[in-house]
Amino acid sequence: MHLIFGGAYQGKLDYAKERYQLKAEDIYFCGAETDWCSPDLGMGDPVPAPEIDFTKKAIDGLEEFVLSCVCSGVEAKAYLKAHREEWKDSIFICTDISSGVVPCDKKQRAWREMVGRTLMYLGKEAEEVTRIFCGLPQTIKK
Amino acid sequence: MNIFISGGCKNGKSYYAQSLAKLQAEDGRPLYYVATMKPADEEDQTRIRRHQKEREGWGFETIEQSGNIGGMEADFSGSFLFDSVTALLSNEMFHRDGTIDREAHLKIAEELVQLAEKSGNIVFVSDYLYSDAVKYDELTELYRKGLAWIDRRLAKKCDVVIEVTFGNVRVWKGSEEDAQRLKRLADSEAGPVFPI
Repeated sequence: MHLIFGGAYQGKLDYAKERYQLKAEDIYFCGAETDWCSPDLGMGDPVPAPEIDFTKKAIDGLEEFVLSCVCSGVEAKAYLKAHREEWKDSIFICTDISSGVVPCDKKQRAWREMVGRTLMYLGKEAEEVTRIFCGLPQTIKK
Repeated sequence: MNIFISGGCKNGKSYYAQSLAKLQAEDGRPLYYVATMKPADEEDQTRIRRHQKEREGWGFETIEQSGNIGGMEADFSGSFLFDSVTALLSNEMFHRDGTIDREAHLKIAEELVQLAEKSGNIVFVSDYLYSDAVKYDELTELYRKGLAWIDRRLAKKCDVVIEVTFGNVRVWKGSEEDAQRLKRLADSEAGPVFPI
């Protein structure tokens, strides 16, 4: 498994596409139709449990999956752990949201923390970890 | 050399960029500071005065250029400090009359790449504002996306790409020799002193 992270719009997916010659059908994007940011969606609301299609080579927008977990009261790490066999050879792409001011909004605060826990877990499990900065890769672990 | 510098707010980017620009003018070529900020209020005026004071004695000639980079006039054999890409995009994207240019980043990226080609000795300063856990409104996201677009274009174009974190320097792109030299500059006593 390869974990690719970095700030928003830094070229994480472009890097993965080029490195692994990914086509559109190889990528699962976690931003579902649901607007997880909507203030109507609290934490632990009865929304459908989030799912990831692990048959795809790359999973993009993992932070959106985590946000959906926050809304539906699921721990993202637990979900990933339960599906470990399915993503052993996957590529995870996640936006790093860890370096800003602590958000005032409770949901965003929980989101930030859950993304942190999830990335710590995946970072440990990963064979390779790459950070992208302005389109440039840096190997954090290999 | 063309150098691109980014990093968080109040991390010492400007000071480091000033020393780099000065270093590139050591052979006596003109030293320019391209100021992009268009003051909107008293707070901006104060910030500009503080920056001007910090630059005193460095030998910069200031070029006020809050837009139209293509029309900038200077001796292009000089050493330039361009501060900042962030302010320039804000000026060109959000107009005083309330209109918005949603494609300002495309024009700016091309103009800055051309400026880098013309000069060959320019230090660009941008801001890294991509790692916070806030879901912004559509316009703010558009601005972040546009700035990232310009950053990536410049990072590709420039010989050296540097991230400054609290006065520490990480060289993301550049030869090993340049990287060592640039790190030494940040550490040296003769180098910049990062004010709190």
